[in-house]
Amino acid sequence: MTATAEPTPAETPVDERELLVDARGVKVHFPIKRGVILDKVIGHVYAVDGVDLQIRKGETYGLVGESGCGKSTLGKAILNLEPPTEGSVLVDGTDVASLKGAALRRRRKDFQMVFQDPMSSLDPRQSVESLLVEGMKAHGLATDAKATAKRLRELLAAVGLPAAALKKYPHEFSGGQRQRIGIARALAVEPKLIVADEPVSALDVSVQAQVINLLEELQDEFDLTYLVVAHDLAVVRHISDRIGVMYLGGLVEEASADDLYAQPLHPYTRALLSAVPLPDPAAEDAREQILLVGDLPSPSRPPSGCRFHTRCPWRQETRCDDERPQLRVVEVDGVPASHRVACHFAEEIARGEIQRHEVTATATVQDWRGEDEGDAIGPASVAEAEADARRTSSASSQVTPPGP
Amino acid sequence: MTATATTPSTNRHGDEPLLSVRDLRVTFTRQGEEPFTAVDGVSFDVRPGQTVGLVGESGCGKSVTSLAIMGLLPRRGNRVEGTATFDGTDLLRLGSSEMRDRRGRDIAMIFQDPLSSLNPVVPVGLQVTEVLERHRKMSRKAATPLARDLLKRVGIPDPDRRLKDYPHQMSGGMRQRALIAMALACAPRLLIADEPTTALDVTIQAQILSLLKELVQETGTALVMITHDLGVVAGLCDEVNVLYGGRIVERGGRHELFGQPRHPYTNGLLASIPRLDAERAPLTPIPGSVSDNLPWTSACAFAPRCSQPVDVCTQRTPQLEESGSRALRCFNPVGGPR
Ligand SMILES: Nc1ncnc2c1ncn2[C@@H]1O[C@H](COP(=O)(O)OP(=O)(O)OP(=O)(O)O)[C@@H](O)[C@H]1O
Ligand SMILES: Nc1ncnc2c1ncn2[C@@H]1O[C@H](COP(=O)(O)OP(=O)(O)O)[C@@H](O)[C@H]1O
Ligand code: SF4
Ligand code: SF4
Ligand SMILES: [Mg+2]
Ligand SMILES: [Mg+2]
Repeated sequence: MTATAEPTPAETPVDERELLVDARGVKVHFPIKRGVILDKVIGHVYAVDGVDLQIRKGETYGLVGESGCGKSTLGKAILNLEPPTEGSVLVDGTDVASLKGAALRRRRKDFQMVFQDPMSSLDPRQSVESLLVEGMKAHGLATDAKATAKRLRELLAAVGLPAAALKKYPHEFSGGQRQRIGIARALAVEPKLIVADEPVSALDVSVQAQVINLLEELQDEFDLTYLVVAHDLAVVRHISDRIGVMYLGGLVEEASADDLYAQPLHPYTRALLSAVPLPDPAAEDAREQILLVGDLPSPSRPPSGCRFHTRCPWRQETRCDDERPQLRVVEVDGVPASHRVACHFAEEIARGEIQRHEVTATATVQDWRGEDEGDAIGPASVAEAEADARRTSSASSQVTPPGP
Repeated sequence: MTATATTPSTNRHGDEPLLSVRDLRVTFTRQGEEPFTAVDGVSFDVRPGQTVGLVGESGCGKSVTSLAIMGLLPRRGNRVEGTATFDGTDLLRLGSSEMRDRRGRDIAMIFQDPLSSLNPVVPVGLQVTEVLERHRKMSRKAATPLARDLLKRVGIPDPDRRLKDYPHQMSGGMRQRALIAMALACAPRLLIADEPTTALDVTIQAQILSLLKELVQETGTALVMITHDLGVVAGLCDEVNVLYGGRIVERGGRHELFGQPRHPYTNGLLASIPRLDAERAPLTPIPGSVSDNLPWTSACAFAPRCSQPVDVCTQRTPQLEESGSRALRCFNPVGGPR
């Protein structure tokens, strides 16, 4: 996770023994239920839909993609906090899903999660001391009072909080300090893997950098492996050794952080990178943007074929609409085998043989309804709409806007 | 810094400000609590066709500034001082019905969370039509096709169908477009946008920003852009005001400000963000947090976090000093005194 040059993944082929996480064909599908007692399954959200992901010991793997593309769900599936509908996840050689009871508890301490909003993930009624000791106790790490006290001091020092913080409560801290407490809590049980879900996105810019630097220092000090989930591409690039780009439940591109930003090959990655505003007016004026039109399709109705085809400016008549591209090594000069892309036409696009074209925008309707009732007649006036809503709400005692 | 791009549209539109905010001060007075000054003597001008940015981290007073100008602060529990002159009228002295009228006609605002400014039980098309009927005195028959055109104009696909959608049926990006359509429906001369893209994905943010840019260019609407994102500011704003602890600490054209930040806070912000457009380099955070601030009344509020404070910083209040198009509030600026 350092910014210095390391051997590229291409030079260090994935060695099975070096893998901490080995996920294969992971799917997580959430049923969409309707009906009075929610017993009728009317569809599924394909939150994660067939992902292979390997993370090596000691590296930082970054997952990026737009809201709802399945980043958090994949992170949770790897920790078995959200059991996969299909596929297998080996963490340090063990299939977590197969563990039960004491064995599961023992392994659980090896994998910790750090969340976006430190306030909602910390119990406001517990002092920092009790928050930290809780996890240690659960894993049998707080037996000797003297050793525990020493450990607590070390933990606070490691995350840059004063010893006086132990007696305080979460609301007495700033956002950045609360995130430090969340990190200290994860560290308390001496984990091997930390899944950090948007660890800095709730923080102010000035404080973000403190927490990013802290995560980097702790990794070196404690030999940690990170899976960092974030939507901020600059943060992910800074922090990661390797990066996976997700779109609608699948990985569309994977490469070392430097390769990915130097030469993005998937049309979605290109669009994503070109959309990030740069804090440099000259660069902003010169920037060539690939503006995507329309919305991200709903993950409950993913497009056929390549999931990006509804928004892809390079979409072709053949294959794109009906054949789902797999992550593959591409044959482009200077692109290493570790850089994989799920696009049928990655080579042609990279060589400039296929040109960008206009795309017609589509909007995504947010709820579950048929496609053909667009002509339903709406209320005639604001007053009528509001009266309708009042009637509906007094009938069901719940404000549900009158949908189709 | 040699600016290559065209300079602020100021030149195009003459020098008369459309909105002139002077010494704006907002103090929250809660019973049983110390009065708290959220905005502490803020002054800036906005000219027709110009985009002015207010940038700073959470709690620095960006939203309260805009809400005070729009007359949208809670009626009780606060004191608003200073002036906000729009076209010769001080908005802060207007009665609530006069202000409501202004808001429909001359000034519009869009917020971070479009859902909170849309009526959840009324189809979006009808909400746009309503604005046209009320503020442009149009008939329903004339307003409906115009509403449709506005939705199309802001990039809502299939506007005929979308007219009948309720806000909850639209994605965040589409809702923000609908809100922009409503703002446009009154053809405002001034648009205030408070973090309009913060809740959106970066690809959708790019669409909305390019839409706002186009609107400013085509209609000459003045835009006040409130954001914490320095990237958004760099691409969009002619002039940038950096706020810290309720006060403007630095102001400049975007090329000057980013090319040569003079305030240690501005400089620190730029050093603490990871860059996509450069080699990976270690980040230099600003230490501490806003909870370490000193009171402006007797010091520089930023002093406890500053990388280069001098003795006087904790003894006196630095004043905002203007020189040409720039302004700076600092005893020991980056790059030394000029
Ligand atoms: N428990 C659940 N039940 C039903 N649907 C869910 C559940 N959890 C997530 N989803 C859906 O699965 C999809 C992926 O969600 P996920 O939280 O993984 O996205 P994400 O990439 O982390 O997005 P964000 O950037 O907004 O955090 C979304 O459509 C979400 O609404
Ligand atoms: N209605 C209110 N009552 C009391 N304090 C408020 C109120 N609204 C905002 N504040 C305080 O004013 C300060 C500035 O807030 P705001 O303008 O919303 O910040 P931002 O720059 O993030 O938009 C903050 O400390 C905030 O807590
Ligand atoms: S497979 Fe086709 S639609 Fe998908 S990204 Fe490649 S070119 Fe675009
Ligand atoms: S006035 Fe002093 S403390 Fe404040 S920013 Fe300038 S140098 Fe730093
Ligand atoms: Mg998430
Ligand atoms: Mg705000």
